[in-house]
Amino acid sequence: MPIKIKSLDGLYREIDVSRIKVKDLIKELGLSIEGYITVKKGLVITEEDVVENGDEIILYPVVSGG
Amino acid sequence: MVSCSICGKPAIYISKRDGKNYCKEHFLKYFDNIVKDTIERFKLFRDKEHIIVAVSGGKDSLSLLHYLYNLSKEYPSWELTALLIDEGIKGYRDITIKDFKKIVDMLGVNYELVSFNDFYGITLDNIVKKLKKEKSNVYACKYCGVFRRYLLNIVARELGGTVLATAHNLDDIIQTYILNIFLNNIRNIASLAPVTGVANHVKFVKKVKPFYMILEKETTLYSIINKLYPKFVECPYAPTDIRWDIRIFINRLEEIKPGIKFKMLENLLDLINFLRDKYREGEINTCKVCGEPSSSEICRACSFRMKLKLPIKNKVF
Repeated sequence: MPIKIKSLDGLYREIDVSRIKVKDLIKELGLSIEGYITVKKGLVITEEDVVENGDEIILYPVVSGG
Repeated sequence: MVSCSICGKPAIYISKRDGKNYCKEHFLKYFDNIVKDTIERFKLFRDKEHIIVAVSGGKDSLSLLHYLYNLSKEYPSWELTALLIDEGIKGYRDITIKDFKKIVDMLGVNYELVSFNDFYGITLDNIVKKLKKEKSNVYACKYCGVFRRYLLNIVARELGGTVLATAHNLDDIIQTYILNIFLNNIRNIASLAPVTGVANHVKFVKKVKPFYMILEKETTLYSIINKLYPKFVECPYAPTDIRWDIRIFINRLEEIKPGIKFKMLENLLDLINFLRDKYREGEINTCKVCGEPSSSEICRACSFRMKLKLPIKNKVF
């Protein structure tokens, strides 16, 4: 089961990696750590927390044009 | 799992400001302390105020409205009115207005909605179309910024506001700082203080930025925790503005050198102190066309209206 990542700005990706820190996952996606807040199971987690295969996470964009 | 440095519960935020981790409860206290320090340090509000809160319907301004609404419970002599300027940007502002109305209804806050179309007789979308047709340079954000600020001041005054609060956060401030270095506009840098508009002009409403010391990431977190985070939508004109690139550049720098944003802000505050005597706000003139405050003979809103061949009438209500 891959890690499923959905970002509210439209991005959807699945990454097959057993365990990864949020900050490394965001970098892996080519995104900026400064630019997103991560939510897992309805709870905000930090960039130093670890996510695992099977987790579904939602990224809330910090930067929005307007 | 990262734990809260204060209570040991799961952390939701790691602050580069103080190196501590915060759970939800302690993040909200941390957030509250920073905003209250800002209000006190820069004397943003008095005991009796009619605060006009400029709200766009985005996460930052909804957070500011929510925060000031809660803070106003501690100040019975404060009156709060939310003000939304509808620039007329299809597919963007029409969506954020819905989020705005949802939150003002939820909080039970008085609000006012004023549009470019009603006041200037044209929407921003049509300004852009008109400029393109005339083959003029299209700087949508420039027109939008000038017209918005002009209208906010007039409407805030007409509503009887004693102070206009905007949701500019630390990221916005340092982006504008860098932008004005590139544009070699020192006067604009001098006006990047947490309080502006206290100049000796009867038509100027004092403007304050309670989130001056708060990172955009922190207002975003505040909005998520308080269920204010709106439907994600971006202004179609934003990526055309150089600010967009500056934002990306500063965020990249922050990743390489954590804490650089705070250093830039402190540097800006020092610089504003140095520039204070040279660019005193007392030099504000009156626009000879519309009678509103202006730094030159004719204000920029009137110059733009003349360029666009728009009628100049300043009737709001």
